[in-house]
Amino acid sequence: MVPGDTFLHRLSGTTKVRLFVVLLVYIIMSFDLRLLMPLLVVSFIGLVSLHPNWKLIRVFMVAVFLMNLFNVFLFWVADPAVSERWLGPGRTILFSVTPRLFVSLETVWYLTVRLIKMYTSFMVSIVFIQAVVPSEIASGLYSMGVPYKVCTVFSLAFRYIPDIGRDYENIKISMQTRGMEMDSRKTPLGKRFKQTVLILVPLIITSFDRIGNIANAMDLRGFGRLKKRSYYCEVEPSTIDKVFHWLTLALFLYCIYWIAVNKLPSPNPWIWFPFEV
Amino acid sequence: MTNPAIEFRDFSFRYKSQSEPTLHHIGLTINAGEKVLILGPSGSGKSTLANCINGLIPFSYEGEISGSCIVAGMETKQASIFALSKKVGTVLQDSDAQFVGLSVGEDIAFALENENVQRKEMLVKVRTAAEIVGMESFLSHVPYELSGGQKQSVSLAGVLHGSVDILIFDEPLASLDPCMGMGAVDLIDRIHAGHKTVIIIEHRLEDVLYRDVDRIVLMNEGCIVFDGSPDRLLTSDLLHTYGIREPLYITAMKYAGCQLTEEDHPSSVSHMDLSRFTNQLRTHQAITLKTHVPQKGEEILRIDHVTFAYDRDPVLKDISFSIRQGEKIAFVGKNGAGKSTMAKLLCGIVRPGKGSVAFHGTDYQIYSIKELGERIGFVMQNPNQMIVKDIIKDEVALALTLHGKTPQQIDKAVMDALKMCDLYTMRNWPVTMVSYGQRKRITVAAILALQPEVVILDEPTAGQDYRHYTEIMEFLDGLNRTYGLTIIFITHDMHLAIEYTDRAIVFSDGQLVADDAVFKVLSNDAVIKRANLKQTSLYTLASRLGIAPEQYIGHFIEYERLVKQHE
Repeated sequence: MVPGDTFLHRLSGTTKVRLFVVLLVYIIMSFDLRLLMPLLVVSFIGLVSLHPNWKLIRVFMVAVFLMNLFNVFLFWVADPAVSERWLGPGRTILFSVTPRLFVSLETVWYLTVRLIKMYTSFMVSIVFIQAVVPSEIASGLYSMGVPYKVCTVFSLAFRYIPDIGRDYENIKISMQTRGMEMDSRKTPLGKRFKQTVLILVPLIITSFDRIGNIANAMDLRGFGRLKKRSYYCEVEPSTIDKVFHWLTLALFLYCIYWIAVNKLPSPNPWIWFPFEV
Repeated sequence: MTNPAIEFRDFSFRYKSQSEPTLHHIGLTINAGEKVLILGPSGSGKSTLANCINGLIPFSYEGEISGSCIVAGMETKQASIFALSKKVGTVLQDSDAQFVGLSVGEDIAFALENENVQRKEMLVKVRTAAEIVGMESFLSHVPYELSGGQKQSVSLAGVLHGSVDILIFDEPLASLDPCMGMGAVDLIDRIHAGHKTVIIIEHRLEDVLYRDVDRIVLMNEGCIVFDGSPDRLLTSDLLHTYGIREPLYITAMKYAGCQLTEEDHPSSVSHMDLSRFTNQLRTHQAITLKTHVPQKGEEILRIDHVTFAYDRDPVLKDISFSIRQGEKIAFVGKNGAGKSTMAKLLCGIVRPGKGSVAFHGTDYQIYSIKELGERIGFVMQNPNQMIVKDIIKDEVALALTLHGKTPQQIDKAVMDALKMCDLYTMRNWPVTMVSYGQRKRITVAAILALQPEVVILDEPTAGQDYRHYTEIMEFLDGLNRTYGLTIIFITHDMHLAIEYTDRAIVFSDGQLVADDAVFKVLSNDAVIKRANLKQTSLYTLASRLGIAPEQYIGHFIEYERLVKQHE
């Protein structure tokens, strides 16, 4: 697969993978809106710049947002004072639904930070997925010292999973014509589950046939002989790649600094809270 | 050209998992620059022989070797598969599974990546290899955008790097449509002209002979039974003895009583010397034969102006035809032309967007897929994709159980189906015990158990050698004759269409471009071109004799029917 032709697409696989890994560290370490908000904004801009298929992306974005919102809501229902473990004792009650279910400024703040943190990690991931192709991930991971056999497993999975999906579709069709009712309105869940298991038998057998062929094809082209490997998709680093390389490094150093100063990972990391009394 | 590229001396091989050797005392020398066809029925050891040359034996398939096999100066027992892979390039049969890259460029580069070649150098080499096979403008395409033939060209480019000068093609024609097959044979010929040693493993003799080969090695049960020129092989009776399909034009000439000799150069239909036989062939053509009128019952299916699209672009465009009881029909056309979608539509898996399908005069929309499945059966190409039960009897009973029949009904229908398919004595065997061909039979039995009126078979003979091919086809033909079963074949195989069907429906880009008797379709140039079919050798022979191809092919089919009746 070949990436598209926008600014982010054109970066080399190594640049994309490294930046992504460092950004994940950045998101995980920060419970601080001052760090998260800029990244959220940047990732939005990044996504727009990639000209993605909005129809599909929009569904994802809304679904993930609602899921996280629900998650946060459950946090609140389970323990309205959830923030106190993090922000210390202090309860500025805004209003109460019942005596137990109160809404405090601290909890609202904590849960907002949590929601944004989750959503930022989702946004960064989706930008990464949109910008990268599987072989670039493989070459990027390889550049970070992951053994190439592991990287290859990764790109092979991307290559063959759609094929297996097509096999599944075919097998399902043949079972349907033989009288297996797959319609969810007519068949109870338990029975449908049993039928799906039945389809898996031929699917596994055909997949094993395929694996044997793939292994032979790879052996015959010298896979696994040398310790090192080069990548066709790994483009020569451009000036922009070099700039990104330094940016990534700087961000990485900042992360180390932040982690050291805040003594992370700690059970109760500090959360930036501007309304402290 | 006396310098041997490959030399087998008293070579035997036994797979670790088997008690008997697969190859027996092979003695074979292939010289550098030769083009050799290794011919043989399934299980004759021809693929094993190829795997001994490329190093998969003993690297991936362990076993016991005796004697010696020297490839490019290396004794394969001692050499590694990697050292051999620098000299020997192999294009495997499954063009899809061997496509390991996520794009054309990546797949061609795979061997170079493994060699840790620097990217700058790699780009040049990939381009060069792609240009040789004519795929240079597809470098950024993903595998799903390619046809079978294109995937195969990519696989070939992927093994052409560096000092590879021996090329092995394992059943290169197996998954290609006729026109692509011709392209593949032509490409192999061009590669060979670039001073490579070429070894082709195939059982489709006629298709390979579309371009010259230097030598044919015929194998049977692990031994070499013939090693010589194509002309000599074609004038012997070895093809018949070892179950290899004779080229159609040779059969036609034999019907006319022509005595072919090596000097006539019968290996090429377009170059052989016909002058000796012209009169004989013309006289034979003049024999009047009773025209066979296929029996037709009442109309079962009527497809009326059907259009269908998965999303936006229609896959089937305004298609109309009807099918009568007892007909044998071939759906032909290139991959993606709409044949399979048409079959799915007939089974009700997809339904027409516009137009209608009538089953015995009623709109079939009232039936569910399950209900239609009882009337129109669908047998997939690969039996391994259909079989879900361990025991043959249970597999055949599955559909009936799903339809909620009573145990008595099931028992009777299963036994009937098993008897029809000659599987009754094996009914309690595990499915894993039987051969591929028998598994195919099981899947047919599993469909017949429902007693459908129409059976659709997708490439029923794919991957089968001539003996098994004949076995399966005669069996299906028998079902048609004895039980009046209506059969639709989806196929690339023009031989199959000629021999076993009366009518061909030709699809191209979602349109129905022809619906006529097989011999008429196969003599219509415009249709052949549009649907990626190929002119059969009978067509070439007829043109050379100055007989109208339509008449000639028609006459051949009638005559063959007569011969079969007498057998």
